[in-house]
Order: sequence, then C-alpha cells, then structure tokens
Amino acid sequence: MAGMSPSERRLQKELMSLVKEPPPGVTVHADLVEKNLLQWIINMEGASGTLYEGESFQLQFKFSNKYPFDSPEVTFVGSNIPVHPHVYSNGHICLSILTDDWSPALSVQAVCLSIVSMLSSCKEKKRPPDNAFYVKTCSKNPKKTKWWYHDDSV
Amino acid sequence: MGNCLKRSTTDDISLLRGSDSVRESSSDQLGPSPYQETLPIQAATPVYHPSPSVTRSVAQLTEEEQVKIAKRIGLIQHLPTGTYDGCKKARECVICMVEFLVGDAVRYLPCMHTYHMACIDDWLMRSLTCPSCMEPVDAALLTSYETN
Ligand SMILES: [Zn+2]
Ligand SMILES: [Zn+2]
Repeated sequence: MAGMSPSERRLQKELMSLVKEPPPGVTVHADLVEKNLLQWIINMEGASGTLYEGESFQLQFKFSNKYPFDSPEVTFVGSNIPVHPHVYSNGHICLSILTDDWSPALSVQAVCLSIVSMLSSCKEKKRPPDNAFYVKTCSKNPKKTKWWYHDDSV
Repeated sequence: MGNCLKRSTTDDISLLRGSDSVRESSSDQLGPSPYQETLPIQAATPVYHPSPSVTRSVAQLTEEEQVKIAKRIGLIQHLPTGTYDGCKKARECVICMVEFLVGDAVRYLPCMHTYHMACIDDWLMRSLTCPSCMEPVDAALLTSYETN
C-alpha cells in the first residue's frame, strides 16, 4: 500500500473489510471504488420486516483528502430515494453523525449501519416537512447545510 | 555528529512531506504513523480549524480565533504522551486504523483512550473530544487541574 496518502490507506482498509464482511443488506461496488477511492457507491437493501422491505437504494460517499478528520459527504443517489422524514427528495440525509457528531472513529460501515437503522425505525413513509423549500434552496453539498436535527424518535 | 543527517531524514522532515516521502517507497521510510502532518507542519504552513468544518490559513483568522487556537494548542500539549510499549489493551489507532508498533509516539486522553500523537493532535485541533467515546477533553482537563 505504498504510494498512498493516509486517507487512501485508511479507505483501502475499510474497503477490504467491507468487501470481506459486509453488514446485512449492504454491498459495495468494489470495482468502481478501486478506480477512485475517494468516491464510493454502496447498495443498500431495505431490511425485511420494515417499511422498506423489497426496496433497494444507492448511497454515494465522497471523501476529501482530510478523511477521516473530515466527514464523508453521503447522499442517496439513483432512481429510488427512500421516502423518509430525514431524507430529502434530492437524496440529502439529515443525520447528525454526517456533520456535527462526526468522529474519526466512525467509518463507512458505521455510517451504513446508522442509515440502515434510521430507515428500519421509520413508522411512516413521508418526506421531511420542509422538503420542497430545502430542495429548492440547498447547496449541492449536504455538508454545507446548517442542519437543525429533527428529533431522533422517528 | 555523523548520524545527524540520517536522523533528520528518517525522522520528521521526510515524513512531514507526505507525497515526497511515500514516493520513496522503501518501507522503512514510511515510519511509525501515517499521519505526520500535525502541529509541526501546521506551524510551517498554518492551516487552522476554528470549528471542525472550517479550514482557514492563519492570515484569515480573526484575533479572537487566534487566541482560541493558541489556547487549544496549549491545552493539547498538556495531555500526556508516551511511546507505545506493546500494551495489549490498545492495539490499533482507530483514526488511521493502523496497529500500534512498539516505539510509536502516542497520546493518552483523560478517558484513557490512546492514539498516535500525530493522528489525535490533528483531530483535537478541530474538536476537543475523544473520537471513541466523545468524552470532552477540555472539561476533563480542567477538573484534573483543580484536583492536582
Ligand atoms: Zn493513528
Ligand atoms: Zn475516550
């Protein structure tokens, strides 16, 4: 792994462990990632017994060369954006560990698990109340959003 | 005297120049910790983080931010450091995900979580919390000052 920056070295390790032992319902497009370690596409299946059973989603992770000190930029992409009170229709996710509560001890796997559990605990499929306004006015980068976090009970 | 040159190339200087040192790909050049670009290099090319997501060069800092950062550096330097002695309790630095090697420079936080000094210092300049347990480092430090 010589010739890699510290962020790339860590991402390479994370990739290997995610390929070897992926959390249930999570798969990483390893061939794509190997071309560009700083941008990952991850497939996520809705867990059985939840409102998202049978659906599948795609998550995009973008990393800066300051990863893991900087949090990754994580959004849902593709044709199926989950309808969820913390997920905007443009794919942006309101989840505090992606900005304010990020820690370098977190990882792609930890973020995936957190999103799986966010989806799994959902009781009613609906968009955030401010969806229309947010999607019209937000920056392309969700990390630039000054989120006020919705209550975590949803 | 003869060893001075050797020391300075394997020690700080070559490691601080991230991309240059990795191009010399022989493994002994890579050194103990992959995150060598911390306080020393920030002093050379000052980039600071008044809050975790804000990056500024020193020229763009307000006076208030400069004071805050100077205080923070002082605080970080009060945290105990050491060299990894092979203790089995801490095996891997969770920031770089690399196993500790005997002799690595490490820093101990008040919660007893251990990291490579270079890795944790880079984080503490952004946020005074332990990455593993989120324990605020500054509050713990203040209480330890009071009791000592
Ligand atoms: Zn480390
Ligand atoms: Zn801790």
